[in-house]
Amino acid sequence: MSAAFQPYRRARDFGTPKRESQRQVTLTIDGVTVTVPEGTTVLRAAAEAGINIPKLCATDSLEPFGSCRLCLVEIQGAKGLPASCTTEVREGMVVTTQSKRLADVRRNVMELYISDHPLDCLTCPTNGDCELQDMAGAVGLREVRYGYDGANHFGAKKDESNPYFTFDPTKCIVCSRCVRACEEIQGTFALTIDGRGFASKVAASQNQPFLDSECVSCGACVQACPTATLTEKSLIELGQPEHYVVTTCAYCGVGCSFRAEMKGEQVVKMVPNKDGHANHGHSCVKGRFAFGYATHKDRITKPMIRNSIHEPWKEVSWEEAISFTAKKFKEIQAKYGRHAIGGITSSRCTNEETYLVQKLVRAAFGNNNVDTCARVCHSPTGYGLKTTLGESAGTQAFDSVMKADVIMVIGANPPDAHPVFASQLKRRVRQGAKLIVVDPRATDLVRSPHIEADYHLALRPGTNVAVLNAMAHVIISEGLEDKEFIAARCERDAYEDWRAFILEERNSPEAVEKESGVPAETIRGAARLYASAPNAAIYYGLGVSEHSQGSTAVMAIANLAMCTGNLGREGVGVNPLRGQNNVQGSCDMGSFPHELPGYRHVSDPNVRKLFEQDWNVTIDPEPGLRIPNMFDAAIAGTFKGLYVQGEDVAQSDPDLNHVAKALSSLECMVVQDLFLNETAKFAHVFLPGSSFLEKNGTFTNAERRISRVRKVMKPLAGYEDWEVTQLLANAMGYPMSYSHPREIMEEIARLTPTFAGVSYEKLDELGSIQWPCNEKAPQGTPTMHVEEFVRGKGLFRVTPYVPTDERTNSKYPLLLTTGRILSQYNVGAQTRRTANVAWHSEDVLEIHPHDAEQRGIQTGDWVGLKSRAGETVLRALVTERVMPGVVYTTFHHPESGANVVTTDNSDWATNCPEYKVTAVQAYKVEKLSDWQQRFQSFTEQQLEFLRKARAGSEEAVG
Amino acid sequence: MDVNKLVRMANQIAANLDDGKNPQRAIDGTVDHLKRFWTPAMRRQIVEHYRQGSNGEEVIELSFIAAQAVARLAEEQQQATA
Repeated sequence: MSAAFQPYRRARDFGTPKRESQRQVTLTIDGVTVTVPEGTTVLRAAAEAGINIPKLCATDSLEPFGSCRLCLVEIQGAKGLPASCTTEVREGMVVTTQSKRLADVRRNVMELYISDHPLDCLTCPTNGDCELQDMAGAVGLREVRYGYDGANHFGAKKDESNPYFTFDPTKCIVCSRCVRACEEIQGTFALTIDGRGFASKVAASQNQPFLDSECVSCGACVQACPTATLTEKSLIELGQPEHYVVTTCAYCGVGCSFRAEMKGEQVVKMVPNKDGHANHGHSCVKGRFAFGYATHKDRITKPMIRNSIHEPWKEVSWEEAISFTAKKFKEIQAKYGRHAIGGITSSRCTNEETYLVQKLVRAAFGNNNVDTCARVCHSPTGYGLKTTLGESAGTQAFDSVMKADVIMVIGANPPDAHPVFASQLKRRVRQGAKLIVVDPRATDLVRSPHIEADYHLALRPGTNVAVLNAMAHVIISEGLEDKEFIAARCERDAYEDWRAFILEERNSPEAVEKESGVPAETIRGAARLYASAPNAAIYYGLGVSEHSQGSTAVMAIANLAMCTGNLGREGVGVNPLRGQNNVQGSCDMGSFPHELPGYRHVSDPNVRKLFEQDWNVTIDPEPGLRIPNMFDAAIAGTFKGLYVQGEDVAQSDPDLNHVAKALSSLECMVVQDLFLNETAKFAHVFLPGSSFLEKNGTFTNAERRISRVRKVMKPLAGYEDWEVTQLLANAMGYPMSYSHPREIMEEIARLTPTFAGVSYEKLDELGSIQWPCNEKAPQGTPTMHVEEFVRGKGLFRVTPYVPTDERTNSKYPLLLTTGRILSQYNVGAQTRRTANVAWHSEDVLEIHPHDAEQRGIQTGDWVGLKSRAGETVLRALVTERVMPGVVYTTFHHPESGANVVTTDNSDWATNCPEYKVTAVQAYKVEKLSDWQQRFQSFTEQQLEFLRKARAGSEEAVG
Repeated sequence: MDVNKLVRMANQIAANLDDGKNPQRAIDGTVDHLKRFWTPAMRRQIVEHYRQGSNGEEVIELSFIAAQAVARLAEEQQQATA
């Protein structure tokens, strides 16, 4: 197998965290001279010199605690035996880590621990990978003189409520590593030590079962546990892994690095990689535990075709499915013209795969009808940041937040949607950074244990631009701007225009108060706080982009950062939090219909020439159809064939009645996916996809970080996704002959200046690379726009507030806004097929008590939700998290039909749908909506068509 | 495609590029935007609609700036075919 396969071993643990200091300290440990940064502990200094002092309560992911008394050492001139984990190094210190005296003390300590520990090592799940077992060996424990009949915890009851791990208190040594991990790493504070002395025990929330507690199942406690107290159920079932492969999570835009710990081709557990540059050894419930979908029985592993969506599927060979597709596409082009077909690339697939799909469309289909689901999430980021700063990407690394003094989070809910970054952000807030939250909902960042936002701007959905303009108005009118930065770094005329605009009375906080619902003084306070910080950073999400003014809001954010000089160094910046794992990458790879890879417009003859020479084709100089345009053109009868890789537009896109009508109008719809998703129910060809565990490639996360995805098992259906695209290109008559994604990345690097220095070799060497990576920045670029902006001078754009057409009235008096929840991911196709449903088995409608009471609605009631686009029914959750007049739901379950209600309103510049603002009415009902009843019967029929295909193939085999 | 949708999109583009002070800049910006992001077929359709009117169907009207921008596209198309 490849060198990526490493024999299983526990990651090296240096005992206490690494310290950074300009000053170095030299000491002697066991006669060895060691030099380490000031502030380093003796335990860590020894470990760095290869001297392993026994330890139990210490681990390098947590601050020193000093409770187990095992890491005691002798220090010349010091009294007693200090704990090496809590003792910092001093110049000239002379340390002894092994002596008869130390050995006796350590053995006695271990003897006490083991006197209250079951001796079932041989049948224990962590046998062979247990720190307590290791320490018993290290100190030479040979007997327990106290016996086992004294007071003990052997009868304590196991908690198996969490679907992914067990808590066995009989094995607990009360080292507090789990409690500290929950506090320091995750920042949830769900665990505590309950009781005192011998009765001390780990408790979740108020002594509740883990599943019912505040625990978010991130796995940090399991990772920190040195015994078998907190253990993955998969490990209990399967035993210890025998090798591991470092790869990248396929869930959100944080892009955590993981060790896939394997037994042959079976994943035993996914463990966050301590060397991971985006996550530094942390994870969330999705990446850590929710990988079972990859081998779920619903996976479709044989290609299928049919002539009509009203017919059963037929399982066929790959050859037949591909030639069927190519024939249909060619016929459509012959009949309706070259522009009658197109493709949708996936933000869940690798860079290499998205690159290949857009190449297929531009080179083999001969048009630019290619788009990606970033259209419906972050296309305004691409437009807004390209216009103002010159590059369609966030400006910082995640680690930059640790140098921010003020953090402003707008339209994003990181604890739910980007949990690992949220933990880092909360850590910085606990260190003292100030926090501004701009969100209609009181998210966990507004108030949760040890977190309280200094300002919560609870604005009405749809008024982001008004509020951002008002903040800028305060900054300029009160003279808080960074004049030097503006003069040196930004276009002068554009700034003067913007300055005159922003000072207009219509942009004052007082003028904006009525529209936005945010008191003027709150806006003023937040603006002053943001502008006065040495380092202020903005993080934003889909609550900014998914509006009719999404692009304007992104530019308003860039204006704020430029006018206060908060760009071009660590601790500041403009940071879009990307929804899916490879949203950044799919945009970088030229998935938009107007841009070739590297965000270069198709109308540029020089750029086209570069690709034309390399690809040996002529490229259409005009932009192609965006996803919503494709649907409109399909209904109009001019767009007839669509290749969709790893997207579920029939669940994720707005105004689903319209989407269904469009998809039903197609003559050939090809879906490449893991499951028969909602979109596949409208398909004529199903090409089985491969999960992230089954392929090689790269993902690019929200901080422009390119990380390797490594294959840990064979593709269930035989091909990696890029291979299927290649088969289709060849069948369409455009030759492709890549033998490995490495070669695709070589082509990307050859044709894209920002990727010029990227290669698989360099990724293996550095672990990950933040683009731009080229001659100027061979190691990549953590912080962008340092000396100057990518476009040269920063461009202030005038950002008039144009209210959305989607307004409340007497018929639709409430505003619906949609979002995500921690345990589920996007359309839920993956997470719904895991035990994560334990936390979120259905989408519910959050409604304020005031609105609920007016309508006679109580928690748990069926509620009809109607907009001008459609109607659905959800269960109600009455809560003050939403403000009066606003209702909220998620879109993780198809039968909820959240997107039946959302409308075709979209961002003016990019057509990104306005998911965040829909005028609705809510009312108590007794039964499901008409749409839901139609959905149920359509789904049943399509599943029957699938069953028939499978039964047919069994008959054929039998 | 539904011409009302195209008109709505063009009006939105025009409204967002208009700072209320420099209509010429807003018109230039709208023309540029339509060329950079709309397919030729979408541009042709809105130009056709601009030239021929509603044909009796109920349609949304182009705003002043959007109409000026579409007029410019119409002129350019005419020059290109002349």
